[in-house]
Amino acid sequence: MRGMRGAVLLLLASAAAAAAAAAGLVNTNMIRSVDLRALPAVKEQVGVVVQNEHSSKAQRSYTVVVPAAKHDSLARISVRERKSGAELDVARVEGGADAGQVLYQATLRQALQPGDKISLNVDYVLLNTVAPRPAAVGQVDDQGWVWADDVLVPSAYPTRKQKTVVRTRGDIRGFEPAAAATKSGRTVTFGPFEADGGGLGAARAEVRFWDNAEQVEALTHRREYFVSHWANDLNVLEHYAVRNRGPEIDGGFDKVRQAVGRFMKMRDNFVKTLLLKVPATARGMYFVDEIGNVSTSAVTGRQRSSSGGAPFRVMQLKPRYPLAGGWNYTWWHGYSVPLDAYLRVGPARGGRHLLRVPFIGSLVASASQEEVLALTALDTPNVAVSEYELRITLPEGAADIAVHTPFAVDSVAMQPLSYYFDSTGRTTVVIRQRRVAPDASSAHVLVEYSYSARALWQKPLVIALVLFGLFAAASALSRMRLGLAGPARGGKGGRATKPAAKDD
Amino acid sequence: MGGSSKVLGLTAADQASLLRLAILGLISVVAIGSRLYSVIRFESVIHEFDPWFNYRTTQYLVKNGFDKFWNWFDETAWYPLGRVVGGTLYPGIMVTSAAIYNALHLVNVPVDIRNVCVFLAPVFSALTAVATYQLGKEVKSATAGLLAAAFIGIAPGYISRSVAGSYDNEGIAIFLLVLTFFLWLRAVRLGSALYGALTATAYFYMVSAWGGYVFIINLIPLHVFALLAMGRYSNRLYVAYSTFYALGTLASMQIPFVGFQPTFTSEHMAALGTFGLIQLVAFAQFLRGLMPARHFQVVVRGALVGLFAAGAGALVVLTMRGVIAPWTGRFYSLWDTGYAKIHIPIIASVSEHQPTPWTNFFFDLNLLMVLLPAGIYFSFRELTDNHVFLILYSLFAAYFASVMVRLILTLTPIVCVMAGIAMANALEAYLDFRSSSNNDGGGSGDAAQPADTQNSSSTEPSGAKRMHGWLGRTVVVVNLMYFLWMFQFHCSWITSSAYSSPSVVLASRGPDGSQHIIDDFREAYYWLRKNTRADARVLSWWDYGYQLAGMADRPTLVDNNTWNNTHIATVGKIMASDENTAYELARRHDVDYVLVVFGAMLGYSGDDINKFLWMIRIAQGVYPDDVSEQAFFTAGGEYAIDDSASAAMRASLMHKLSYYRFNEVMGQHGFDRVRRQQLPTKVELSNFAEAYTTENWMVRIYKVKELDNLGRRHRAAMAFDGGS
Repeated sequence: MRGMRGAVLLLLASAAAAAAAAAGLVNTNMIRSVDLRALPAVKEQVGVVVQNEHSSKAQRSYTVVVPAAKHDSLARISVRERKSGAELDVARVEGGADAGQVLYQATLRQALQPGDKISLNVDYVLLNTVAPRPAAVGQVDDQGWVWADDVLVPSAYPTRKQKTVVRTRGDIRGFEPAAAATKSGRTVTFGPFEADGGGLGAARAEVRFWDNAEQVEALTHRREYFVSHWANDLNVLEHYAVRNRGPEIDGGFDKVRQAVGRFMKMRDNFVKTLLLKVPATARGMYFVDEIGNVSTSAVTGRQRSSSGGAPFRVMQLKPRYPLAGGWNYTWWHGYSVPLDAYLRVGPARGGRHLLRVPFIGSLVASASQEEVLALTALDTPNVAVSEYELRITLPEGAADIAVHTPFAVDSVAMQPLSYYFDSTGRTTVVIRQRRVAPDASSAHVLVEYSYSARALWQKPLVIALVLFGLFAAASALSRMRLGLAGPARGGKGGRATKPAAKDD
Repeated sequence: MGGSSKVLGLTAADQASLLRLAILGLISVVAIGSRLYSVIRFESVIHEFDPWFNYRTTQYLVKNGFDKFWNWFDETAWYPLGRVVGGTLYPGIMVTSAAIYNALHLVNVPVDIRNVCVFLAPVFSALTAVATYQLGKEVKSATAGLLAAAFIGIAPGYISRSVAGSYDNEGIAIFLLVLTFFLWLRAVRLGSALYGALTATAYFYMVSAWGGYVFIINLIPLHVFALLAMGRYSNRLYVAYSTFYALGTLASMQIPFVGFQPTFTSEHMAALGTFGLIQLVAFAQFLRGLMPARHFQVVVRGALVGLFAAGAGALVVLTMRGVIAPWTGRFYSLWDTGYAKIHIPIIASVSEHQPTPWTNFFFDLNLLMVLLPAGIYFSFRELTDNHVFLILYSLFAAYFASVMVRLILTLTPIVCVMAGIAMANALEAYLDFRSSSNNDGGGSGDAAQPADTQNSSSTEPSGAKRMHGWLGRTVVVVNLMYFLWMFQFHCSWITSSAYSSPSVVLASRGPDGSQHIIDDFREAYYWLRKNTRADARVLSWWDYGYQLAGMADRPTLVDNNTWNNTHIATVGKIMASDENTAYELARRHDVDYVLVVFGAMLGYSGDDINKFLWMIRIAQGVYPDDVSEQAFFTAGGEYAIDDSASAAMRASLMHKLSYYRFNEVMGQHGFDRVRRQQLPTKVELSNFAEAYTTENWMVRIYKVKELDNLGRRHRAAMAFDGGS
């Protein structure tokens, strides 16, 4: 996808014409399925059968409309051909749309000839869109949520037939508009609607449901890597500012109930533990917040997941206070891992160094009353990152830096940094991304750089020279005679005059 | 000690110098190392209360630069009055930390400012050891200096204020105190204007760092006065004192908090008077050179008596007219230990202002306390100008230390020096084995360095007669060594067990020896920091003001800078009033949250209920009509909190906030583990809502409710809601 970006950009010049050219396309059938089973991430898939009804003109692209409000919580959008499963290039269309809409254009692999049909799947990942309702409940009561969206899927093309299916994890309490929908178990189906949209126009659909699973928003998250060749050490540091998305406590915090519930191991809505998967080789772990160490944390032994993969350990961080709905917590933690597992270097790469590190770590929040949690808790990610920053600090002397991100990101920049005992400073790669989809934790960033032998020896040499200079200066100073008196008579400063001194 | 015995190509003098340097280096390492218990046991964290203010201002200084810091008006403290921070603090410690921080960052060592602050006191204690060595060498010998340095490196009396994390003024002030005195003694001995000026510089640094500088500016004039009274006037003294006083006073006036005080407060008048006196004496000495002796005596006697009387009279008159400020309450309490308790409860309420129990001297100084009289004796035996100073310092510091616990700190340096002198005298006498042998062939009859003498202890005694002397010496030396050994054992034990707790973080041990950290304070502060509005006003007793500002980052009504007694009394009154009155007062002061510390769950005795009597007393001092201490005792005169407590106690906000719903978790026969009383069974609260309570119930935070929409009292509204 990255490689094609240049080509896509060229296409954008004709973006404004896209809507007009679209006149020939028709959505003959559309099924939107909304998956609310991995909150706070909402996975939405719109399956659409597109037909080119233009008399003569072949169509090369398909335009997707995202309402601006929805776009503000969009983490990822992708379009695939259903039959082949091939992912299409998607680019945002600048301008040419209403203020309330954002357009994306997917480039078809082969032009759609007049009369032909193609099936496409448009996948969205949306974060933190489901809101608690009621907004405040008792601290042990069930948490209710509401999902809301337009009843009809917005499209740049006429839609002949459509329906929307919403699946939840918990029981469904109700839905709107009740007349246009049916409920079956934990599924609500809106529609099907014909071309006229059932006369619903711009109406909103709403599904209210129970879901006691934890939902946490990471308001900001910063992950930092520090590469040290001398120590063969990759230092990982993660800053988090999180907020429990759950409903607030109705009637205020109740310590008695919280203490009794904790003693009796009864369910409540407080997030008590934050789980982190770290490599099994991690050492020197710490957990700190703005006012010092947090002593309530533990780390498991070496684990291996059932599906294989690298062995890992789990850090169990307990915040200073349990997080009720709406409460915030800010902290940072870190650890070190041996660098050689992440760095490749060799003549095959022309002496280039290749650093391969995870794009983002994973964090799981838990409201369990248990002191030690089962590892299965790790399987349901429930923390959605709103603002993400990745910083990779390369060793002093790294040059010709090239960065390869696993997918398009908002920005990539290089910043200079003077760190411990630096003389010329080093470079930090800064990658920023708003709203990170949960599956990004399996993606990797590649940083390629040159690192000469001279750069390796630069730091010890500089330190040695400075120390030598200091000693030389001290030595020279101690041999220097300041003052107007003639050559002093031995000893320092004529202590001989001192009555009580016994040293001569 | 001729050049015949060279080791490693060094002469004996060089060897001694190298040894001294090495020993001093090791003392520094020990001084720093023994102060790190708290970091190893807990973490690199700022301790207690005042250090949190110093830390917060240092952060501000590092972040905003010196100009902003100097003009800082902190509107979050003393709400709604605010505090002119730049003009009401001693900036020495903050500027020192910021300078170290900036210097390290200049050479690309990006340390955290917190670590600079935490480790500042231990590093300065190493410098104190070096300064004490210089002082000991100045007054006696390098041996005494090294012993004094070793003593001060580990003396608990000093460690109590300088462990890692104890980021307080005393941390650097003791170094400056010793340095100033060392420079002063050298200035007096050499009659050097240079050293006089250096003394003034050190004094200026001291003034910028600690209010205890007043001790210096009274002790040095006293020294001068004593020397004059003893007829020991010399031009050296004149040069030293004139230089020091003129420069030092001008320099000290540059600190805004001190300002013009040196010209009009009683604390500084002794220095001014002595300055005048020494001018007169010097003038008299000058006249003596010009006049016949008979005339001179008449003139001098008349003039001296007349001028002195005039000066003293002027002082008294000016003081009475109010031109010269009289002694402040804190100083009165130095003369009359009962003064503070009657007139200024806020000073008496601080535990470190209490008179010292004698056990504290042993606890903090141990062996040194015994060696102090010996040191004074040796100083008398060889009474130089410097020794007069040491004796005066010993006497006055010992007096002050026995009046106020915290002043053991100023006593410690002189005790260490005196003990060093005493021990050096003893060791030099008993370790010099040569005097008992006939001739050791070296041909050197000088008194030797102890380092060298120890080598010569291997000299074989050649006769049975000398065997006796040898044995006696050995017994004495072994005894002394045993005492020193026990001393260092005592010191490290005291440091580890008594002075290394951050008090912000507590620790308990489980039955299996595992350590359990009790971190309720930070839990509560961090909760406030993250989950309340940035401008939410928090009301608490003043003890927690600095911690709230530093850790919770929220405005407070009162804090540990107890400058406004009325405001503190108002907070005391809110705590002591019944709920409705307290609610009105709290709303009138824009209070959003009320924080109380409550130890009944864990048995933490430093909680607010135990401090409550002081709150009442202070409130009563300002609002005698509204608060009465008697009303809080039962008819039997007991300080009870259970159901038998007095009506005022049970109605008071403090009692309600502490015990609200506490008996529900503790069960039917719940017990207050601090007071050892039954819990009150009926505690109703309507105007305040529980906002957060920490894990062990140590800190409880309540929200002041908004006014009821229908204008009802909250109690009525709750009853209505409960009934519907």
